Amino acid sequence: MISKVKHIHALTSIKRERVLPVAGHVLVRRMQKVSPSDVIVVAPLVSQFVLLDIAQGLNVNPARADELLQRQAGEDLVQGDVIAGPVGLFKRVVRAPQEGMVRIAGEGKVLYEISSPDFELQAGMEGTITNIIPERGAIIETKGALIQGVWGNGKTTYGVVQPTSNDLLKELVVEQLNIGFRGAIITAGFCRSPEVLEAAGIVPVKGLILGSMSANLIPLAKKMDYPIMIVDGFRETPMNKAAEKILIENKDKNIALNAQELDTFQGNFPEGIISQSSTSEPDLPSEAETLKAGKKVIIINGPQAPQIGEIEKIIPGKQVLSSGVETQLAEVTLANEKRTKIPLTNLEIIND
Amino acid sequence: MDTTIVAAKSVIAVDIGSTITRSLFFDVVSGKYRFVAVGSAPTSAGAPHFDVTDGIWRSLEQLQYITGRVLLSEKDGVIIPSTPDNQGVDIMVATMSVGNPISVVTVGLLDTVSLQNARNLAHTTYTNIIDEISLNDHRTSSDRINMLTRKRPDLIIITGGTNNGASHSLLSILESIGLSSYMLNESLRPHILFTGNEQLQDEVKSGLSKISKLRIAANIQPVLGKENIQPAQKEINEIYKEVRNRQSGGLREVLSWTEGTFTSTAAAFGRVIRFLSEKYEPEKGVLGVDIGSDSTILAAAFNGEETLRVFPGLGVGSGSAGVIEKNSLDLIKRWMPIELSDQEIRDYIYNKSVYPCSLPLDVEQLEIELAVAKQAIRYAAEQTVPDLPKQLGAGGTLLPFMEPIIGSGRILTLAPKRYHPLSILLDGLQPTGVTTLALDQNGLLPGLGAVSEVNPLLTVQVIESSTFLNLGTIIAPLGVARPGTTILRVRVNREDGRSFTRDIKYGSLSILPVELGEKVSLHLRPLNRFDVGMGGPGKSGKVNAVGGVLGIVIDARGRPLQFSLDPEKNRKRNEAWRKTISKYE
Repeated sequence: MISKVKHIHALTSIKRERVLPVAGHVLVRRMQKVSPSDVIVVAPLVSQFVLLDIAQGLNVNPARADELLQRQAGEDLVQGDVIAGPVGLFKRVVRAPQEGMVRIAGEGKVLYEISSPDFELQAGMEGTITNIIPERGAIIETKGALIQGVWGNGKTTYGVVQPTSNDLLKELVVEQLNIGFRGAIITAGFCRSPEVLEAAGIVPVKGLILGSMSANLIPLAKKMDYPIMIVDGFRETPMNKAAEKILIENKDKNIALNAQELDTFQGNFPEGIISQSSTSEPDLPSEAETLKAGKKVIIINGPQAPQIGEIEKIIPGKQVLSSGVETQLAEVTLANEKRTKIPLTNLEIIND
Repeated sequence: MDTTIVAAKSVIAVDIGSTITRSLFFDVVSGKYRFVAVGSAPTSAGAPHFDVTDGIWRSLEQLQYITGRVLLSEKDGVIIPSTPDNQGVDIMVATMSVGNPISVVTVGLLDTVSLQNARNLAHTTYTNIIDEISLNDHRTSSDRINMLTRKRPDLIIITGGTNNGASHSLLSILESIGLSSYMLNESLRPHILFTGNEQLQDEVKSGLSKISKLRIAANIQPVLGKENIQPAQKEINEIYKEVRNRQSGGLREVLSWTEGTFTSTAAAFGRVIRFLSEKYEPEKGVLGVDIGSDSTILAAAFNGEETLRVFPGLGVGSGSAGVIEKNSLDLIKRWMPIELSDQEIRDYIYNKSVYPCSLPLDVEQLEIELAVAKQAIRYAAEQTVPDLPKQLGAGGTLLPFMEPIIGSGRILTLAPKRYHPLSILLDGLQPTGVTTLALDQNGLLPGLGAVSEVNPLLTVQVIESSTFLNLGTIIAPLGVARPGTTILRVRVNREDGRSFTRDIKYGSLSILPVELGEKVSLHLRPLNRFDVGMGGPGKSGKVNAVGGVLGIVIDARGRPLQFSLDPEKNRKRNEAWRKTISKYE
């Protein structure tokens, strides 16, 4: 059976596309080194339009209004510039409401685009530009640690990673959230209290990476101003050992935290990237592999999640679970040397 | 009809689902079309492949292995048509449901009339309505233009105006749509489907065809009160294909292999239910429900008139979180016969939504999944029933009389016990009168729907080949009484002349022991003016029935099912119902 690979790697090659959906101006060049806050591409992503009824404004019919137009499509204007008129006893005119541009004019109306600052798409991670996507953005590559999550609250940041304890086994509690974590991306085992998320916002922390979280905190977590990424799932269990090791070993290093919402169809996973200089050239990680003996796996469901182990063998045929469901199992040796039987569907490959 | 009189052709129906791609193989066996085998593989439409052909190829490789028939060639891909030495296949059809929902803005004049037509149309495929424009919407033209340029919908459905009816108001809305479309980069311009006042078609064409991907269908409401959805439904299916073609690679190959017989899974599902409605009892409707990982489909058809509703983000895998979000935890919990904390249930459901392929390990996890399935179907039924024909059966929010009701989806077919699918369908749909609950045990319905377009004989013969598992004949009397009141007397006459009689009390769920496949004659005598679909309240009648895997089920629990405010009472009642139906497994 083919399984998805959960990306938790101490050192791997990472390649990410940073593009806008609309045409813009790319500000980087190939082989340029970028930091997370560097702007890759700028574009007028969100325009604001005003449909001006010139005929009504001048109190004339649409054909006459067109004759009174003083501007053509494409003309840049500043606030107060006359668009049409004057007409009548009181020299009626229609003026530009703000700085902007006439986009369409005719039939007594003008579609006017108000100038708005360009949207700036930042790199979001350290790395090197390896390819330019004309007018849209660029491909950034780096080497480093990668931790992929399963849930994010849609926000991103970049900052220093700070574990809240020497291991990521325990629940994060309000008492731990002291001023020393201000501006840091903190990590912890799990969280079940809304007060903790509120308190982290007051410190304020720059981001939060949790092994797991109670699902009833989801609505609150979405409202928080800082990014939150859940690595393993919704429960009250410590962070998986592979991710914990990476986060502890990289204490005080910079992490690019992209807590984007999960979209498996588009391949968008929340993730944290810690760029590292290395002389080795690791391969890009594979996305899916076959479950077989010798493969390192993470358990994704049940009381043994999110323990990591190694497949000893795939048990031939189907077995009946306590639930009554029939499925194929693997015999897995866990880190504590205990052996357990897990459905193949409840395993993901991990190549840390 | 025997296939010897027609040109017999082997068929493969590929279904590209959200997690699994399945290839169903049909061929002529002993002079009739039969389902032969299925191959499956993970779907490859999304990341990292973004090419559906990889998953199709792997599923066909598995099919080759199972059947021993060569279907693929390294040089030519799928071998179509078959060769004299029995390699390849004659016809291939495909259905697809994978992908994020298509974002839609609906446009109409009145909220309860044309806008409702637009919503109904949008819900015939995998869509998410992100905004609506109507006369009740007091936004300015500028606001509408800004909304459309910011939200960038994949599709705008425009309805409104009966033929020869209102036109001015609609034209003013069309101006905003045209201007916003013009302002967008060409690649971001939406598809526009105009299905309003036919008198406006020329103006719509001249205003929008050059600045959008415009399609025009016959007026969805040509005269007030009559919805004519099918022409527009055909167009929306074409748009679905175009949008998916842009999102996933490989669809050009699929279109070439299938010679264009490629449709959304929902449309194919709806088509086969419509097909069945022409075959079964014309005075009743046929109902199909497909509950998948990400979405739920409900299709009802009465004499060839189809009502199709698709609920993306409402399922038992990636769509399970959507079941909580569209309902509430309490509405899921009320179906459970065991006690679990709210947190355990919620955590499990959200974990299932991020790990949709994971399987329940123990009874507690299984019960959560069954409860999610029941509530997903209940929600879909509550949304759909008001749009079904009112003259047949129960009316209001109750399901009209249907025969049969067919369930499809892995949660039903892979459930450990046969009473699980029966209980999901019975509680979720709450059928009325006398009906048969059947299970599409091999997941053939969408494939058969797609095939019916090119080879209807195959669809007929496969359906007649006992492809559906009869879960049980259901008798659900309608009416109100005090719990414990006798509301129905049933006499069961067996073919060998033996018979027995049962009195049925209100509030009970009982099973009449009739063997699977055994033919019996039922004499139903409702008491206290209860209605069992024999022509009105209190009317008796005879029905011929066939025993299902659970015999004949008499569901006298009332319609709709009532729940207590005390969760413990609900749990105990669910436990008692479960005991009743599990005794006969």
